[in-house]
Amino acid sequence: MTLKLRNNLRKYRFNHNEISQQDLANAVGVTRLTIHSIETGKFNPSTLLALKLAHFFNIKMEDLFYLVKDDVE
Amino acid sequence: MNKKTQKLRTLNIILGFLSLIVFGYALYVFLRLQPKMIAFKGLSDLESGMMTGVGFGLLIIMAFFLFSLLHMVNFIRHSEGIKPIMVALIISGVISLLFVFSDVALLNDINKQYRHSLTQPEWFLVYPIMGFQFVITLILLFLHLSGLLMLKQIDKVVRDSNIFIIVQYVGVICGLMGLASSSLGFFFPRAWSLNVHTTTGGIILLFPYGLSVTYWVLTKLKEKNREWWDEKQLQDIGKSALITLVIDTILLLMLFILNYNHLDGVICILWLPLYLFATIFVFSMGNLYYSSKG
Repeated sequence: MTLKLRNNLRKYRFNHNEISQQDLANAVGVTRLTIHSIETGKFNPSTLLALKLAHFFNIKMEDLFYLVKDDVE
Repeated sequence: MNKKTQKLRTLNIILGFLSLIVFGYALYVFLRLQPKMIAFKGLSDLESGMMTGVGFGLLIIMAFFLFSLLHMVNFIRHSEGIKPIMVALIISGVISLLFVFSDVALLNDINKQYRHSLTQPEWFLVYPIMGFQFVITLILLFLHLSGLLMLKQIDKVVRDSNIFIIVQYVGVICGLMGLASSSLGFFFPRAWSLNVHTTTGGIILLFPYGLSVTYWVLTKLKEKNREWWDEKQLQDIGKSALITLVIDTILLLMLFILNYNHLDGVICILWLPLYLFATIFVFSMGNLYYSSKG
């Protein structure tokens, strides 16, 4: 069984005055493309970046990121 | 509106109109001199001076393409994303800029061949190349006049990604053109041809790539929390570097095998430009692929 990382980044971005990807990227010090890649599940962020994102939204990291079973397996 | 950007726009509009005058002047000079040069008739001092005037005019055209590219890159830096039309314009701008060097080389060849009473087939290349440059000049001038490149977009970008991608596009064009130019050495293995096409051509083709990398470095130096790449870019660069290493090794191995029994062959000279341009091409292509993949 394989576990995959998923996230609620888009949801929290929407709830956070619909903050743009660029503004969020500026706040955590990465490029807009990196935020886009995390949102679409194509890139797994480092622990540091995941913590920075959770800190920005003032939530626990587990609320932002969670594991799911890979359907393919 | 940013004063710097406004100044750049004004400069580009002036250079754009001057470039159009230069194109008109060059066409007049070519139509007047071509029949005489093809027939090996003598040219007056005035007519020789007119040809030199075209050479100086090409400097104006080169300045227009350079500053227009700078303006477009500044615009892209503060864009939400890079639209395909902007990529097409940047590519056309870079090719037009490189063609200025082709214009100089072709006119120089025509002049040499005329002096030695040789035919000048280069005339057939001069018109389409300058025609292409003329069309791109018109499009860029329209962009500057319309003020489309002045539209306010994102105020602040802490960590840039757009310039990084533009550098990769420039790398793909220069790498591909460099590979094509260097490969000419296999078909024209004379020392003169190798010098002109490989050494000089290689340096010219590296010029836009060098400029774009320099611009990227300057934007990085301006960033407050200076880190050259963020973690996603670093991952993409790592994958691209690995692919580049594998392809470069295979390429150099092939060149070594080809050269094994011909130690005095052209590969003694061509291996370096082939290796250099293959590296730039594959690395840039890899970065583009991984960054677009998400």
